[in-house]
Amino acid sequence: MNAIFNNKFATLFTVLGALLVLVAPQYLKNYGIYLLTYWLIFIIATMGLNLTIGYAGQKSLGHAAFFGIGAYTVAIMMKAGISFWLGLPAAALLCFAIGLILGFPALRVQTIYLAFATLGFNTAVWLVMRNEEWLTGGTFGINNIARPVIFGYSLEANRPYYYFVLAVTLVLAGLLWGLLRSPWGKAFKALRDNPIRAESLGVDIRNYTLLSFAIGAVYAGVAGALFASLVQFIEPAPFAVGASIMMYLMVVVGGAGYFLGPVIGAAVGVVLPEWLRDVPGVANWYLPLFGAAVVLLMIWLPDGLLSIPDRIKAKRAARAASAARTAAASRIGASS
Amino acid sequence: MNKRFALKLIAACAIAASATAGFAQEVIKIANIVELSGSGASAGTNFKNGVELAVKEINAAGGILGKKIQTTTNDTQSNPGVAKGLTQKAIDNDVFAIFGPVFSGSIMVSMAESRRAEVPNFTGGEAAGITEQGNPYVFRTSFTQASAMPKVARYISEQAKLKTLAIIYVNNDFGKGGLDALKKALANSPTKVVAEISTDNGQVDFSAAVLKAKQSNADGVFAYSNEEESARILRELRKQGWTKPIIGETTLTGQKVIELAGDAANGAIAHVGLTVDAPQPAIRAFRAKFEKEYKYVSDHNGMKGYSGIYILKAAIEKTGKLDRKAVAATLHTLKVKAADQPGVLMDVSFDAKGDLDRESFMIEVKNGKQEVVSILPPLGAGATPAAAAAAKK
Repeated sequence: MNAIFNNKFATLFTVLGALLVLVAPQYLKNYGIYLLTYWLIFIIATMGLNLTIGYAGQKSLGHAAFFGIGAYTVAIMMKAGISFWLGLPAAALLCFAIGLILGFPALRVQTIYLAFATLGFNTAVWLVMRNEEWLTGGTFGINNIARPVIFGYSLEANRPYYYFVLAVTLVLAGLLWGLLRSPWGKAFKALRDNPIRAESLGVDIRNYTLLSFAIGAVYAGVAGALFASLVQFIEPAPFAVGASIMMYLMVVVGGAGYFLGPVIGAAVGVVLPEWLRDVPGVANWYLPLFGAAVVLLMIWLPDGLLSIPDRIKAKRAARAASAARTAAASRIGASS
Repeated sequence: MNKRFALKLIAACAIAASATAGFAQEVIKIANIVELSGSGASAGTNFKNGVELAVKEINAAGGILGKKIQTTTNDTQSNPGVAKGLTQKAIDNDVFAIFGPVFSGSIMVSMAESRRAEVPNFTGGEAAGITEQGNPYVFRTSFTQASAMPKVARYISEQAKLKTLAIIYVNNDFGKGGLDALKKALANSPTKVVAEISTDNGQVDFSAAVLKAKQSNADGVFAYSNEEESARILRELRKQGWTKPIIGETTLTGQKVIELAGDAANGAIAHVGLTVDAPQPAIRAFRAKFEKEYKYVSDHNGMKGYSGIYILKAAIEKTGKLDRKAVAATLHTLKVKAADQPGVLMDVSFDAKGDLDRESFMIEVKNGKQEVVSILPPLGAGATPAAAAAAKK
């Protein structure tokens, strides 16, 4: 009964979600589409971070750096006259390589120390973006980044570009789904839950730690590439440490280690503040309110929004168990 | 009964719909897209306050062509990406004109959207590149670097009568753009540039740069950098006993530089496009009104927003109808006299690129305060071709 209810619920959720992402843009104006595209891009980025944090248990605070590296790679290549379709894999590969390198400190340090190491890395990358003007345009950024053309069909308009980003999001989500169900995914979870036991069972901790960083970085890099073409302008600010913390927050709010966590988390981090902007009376307070909401959420739901169904289930199971216990106790009492 | 009720309902809806449609034509919607938080917060807030003050006055006097103005304000957080999104949002809401962003970096990004939708977009940005891209819908409320520098050059050679000049500039787009524009403008003048001294963004020690300027034996120095660096240059010049003229453009005599440099700022002279300390009656009146409304003294960004709305009003009235395209076309040849339209603060004329030309001021810092020492005439027919060429991106 429970399983059927859950399946029904999941189906309904999926249908509603599909309607939202496929049909809604037909009825939205430019800004709405822009915001939805923004949301999808952050879903891709936080999917990668969710792998690093939620599945492999590596506390990374440097994710925005990879997001930026991807964006700058595509922007610089496109400004040099190279196609977006070469820039995108280049951004992904570069992020993979740098992600591997960043993974090495994670072999030596854990938890808060790892967070500091990745935070330092993020700051270093941001300084390069800001100071190496010959390459990145410094604080002036890079403007007029073109949108790609696919099979002779231009994605210049907002709606076609949105559907393109949606397709990329679905493909990457599918790949991650496959990865998590494979032995690799199991190994990542083992790494998170008990590294010592995982190693004793023959999981190569070193390789999986490095890979969790590298694959997470690839997702951020692809998201960055799409971001550069969406806004058509990049500068160092969106890739600073603050953005990394925001992404971490999205993962935690959505529910670290839940597959759909990034979908909810990115909605809370990207779409919600924009909505609150237009609510009368809230407009001037939207950032403090958002902060307060996050604090409360962390107090009541430390495992994120997607832990609610699990909690309900756990409560129900506990209630059923206690009822069973009472019944059993009364039976024993009756027989005595 | 039911049918009758339905009919009544339909009639009511129709009336309501037509009423809202009628209402939509009764107001002129203007969107403020400005920096209310982040590094541009003071510039954006001043700009917005100027806009809202002007709108309040115009509405009290009966609006434009008998229609009231309605403003909405959105915060870009000083972030170009957000500014672009908000510009799209404003266009979705069918606004007549957009005011802001003030930061050059943001307008460079967001103006692509207003251009696509053919909505007039007023900005406070000063980078030359904004109007160099042939965008027919972007209009400045301040000078471009490309037209400010010829004015400075004219002052240096004709009023300060310097035979030789040393230039200390910051080595980035802004600094190099300014250096090139100034050199071009001085090319046919009696003033010779004897030293070009490059400094870095964020540089702390200017002793070598000032030493070079001294050794060049120039009659004066032109200092062109960001606020903090400008303050350090001023301090170093004083430290090394420099007594000749120190000249700059806008930044050098800004309030922040005066605060940071202290006594070292005294005697520095700079060209500024707008200042609330100017002697014109319209500007004095504006200063008093702004202070009464917001309880503080406006900076030049408040003047940009305020005069921008009145410039738009003049353009709409001259066009005679609320047609964005026609109003933009009118703006490209618009000349407004402060005598007819006090809100524009100074006589102003626009050129085909959306750049403006008007009088400007030379300011000298005396006892830690800005004082207007002379009023420079407009350049005439916009920027000279040479200056426009120098302001390449």
